[in-house]
Amino acid sequence: MKRIPWWRLGALLALLAGLGLGLVYSWAISPPRIVEAQPAALRADFKDQYRSVIAAAYAATGNLPRARARLSLLGDADPIEALNAQAQRMLATGGQVEYPGQVAALALALDDEHSSVPVSTPVVEITQSVDNSATATSPPPPPEVPILLTETPEVLEIQPTPTLGAPTPRPTRTPIPTLGAPFTLTGQESICDSNLPDGLLQVLVLNSNRRQLAGVEIVVTWDGGEEQFFTGLKPELGNGYADYIMTPNITYTIQLARGSDVALGVVAPTCQTASGENFFGGIKLTFQQP
Amino acid sequence: MTSNRWLFIILALLAGIGIGLAYGWVFDPVDFFDLTPDTLRADYKADYVLMTAEAYRAEQDPGLAARRLAIFGTQSPSAIAAEGLDYARANGFSDADIALMQELVTALQAWSGIR
Repeated sequence: MKRIPWWRLGALLALLAGLGLGLVYSWAISPPRIVEAQPAALRADFKDQYRSVIAAAYAATGNLPRARARLSLLGDADPIEALNAQAQRMLATGGQVEYPGQVAALALALDDEHSSVPVSTPVVEITQSVDNSATATSPPPPPEVPILLTETPEVLEIQPTPTLGAPTPRPTRTPIPTLGAPFTLTGQESICDSNLPDGLLQVLVLNSNRRQLAGVEIVVTWDGGEEQFFTGLKPELGNGYADYIMTPNITYTIQLARGSDVALGVVAPTCQTASGENFFGGIKLTFQQP
Repeated sequence: MTSNRWLFIILALLAGIGIGLAYGWVFDPVDFFDLTPDTLRADYKADYVLMTAEAYRAEQDPGLAARRLAIFGTQSPSAIAAEGLDYARANGFSDADIALMQELVTALQAWSGIR
């Protein structure tokens, strides 16, 4: 058997050792300086803040395509769920009221857009053309997909949605989406369950797809008082769930702040247990977008 | 003869270090996550400033805009907004966007002066 000369073996070992040293230095000791990070690489709390600002900008401009493009930069698997979850977290931590509202409104608008079917006429169909020379800040939607608008016909100018790279001129005119139709009261039932707190008012808010909506403000008024509460504070009971304890023998009026049917004359019902004892039951209201 | 062999070994070591550095810095650099906003690419920063400006146009609350921009760290909010504005001007943002950002910069400069 032929022996390998010591210096060749030494050179091989030196090469491997050098490789190891180089990797340790470049990966651990002195990795490349980060100066061009993408929003998707941000820490979770900064992503939340980024989302909040996207929602605030959307609330100010109503530019949903732009908000969608910006959200896509964060790399969320489901941007709507991410927004809903953030709205719940913001509500639960007692943030300022308008911010979870903005985040939830953006989620609602995206969800509505996602589920909307053009029904009204006339329909203006605009196929977005993508100028290859344009540069932008967010990825463009697939150029093959036509944008269906159901607004009153008007001359619309839609510029390419931003792509990663350099910034692009902002779309000068974009159809402003609505937050959806007002909610209708689709259910009002008395609940006689002695295991539940007396006078428990349960409210469930759904969109047109029966998907529960978080961050929806509910206004409850009575003779001489008014209070607000929000869906989503008890996510274990559903994103669109909210509850409130009614005082017995007081008549309440309940509606959603963003527009809904009004539930009038809501009173905690008097119920009886199997043994004949009286107790105050609860009311369950369901609001849904048509 | 022996010294040549040692030289060969040292060259192998240096070659290994060079290959390792090239691999770690160029071909397969470290994947970063949980980053802070100051590391964002300039166009994303400018777009963030633009979002803040869009919201400011409706809210007219410079304090709130300043809190939103404070995400970028130690610079003053007006300086952060001014950087975004410079980037927008240099990179073909629309006039409407530039006007929004200019409005924000002006408001933040005034707000900083008041404080």
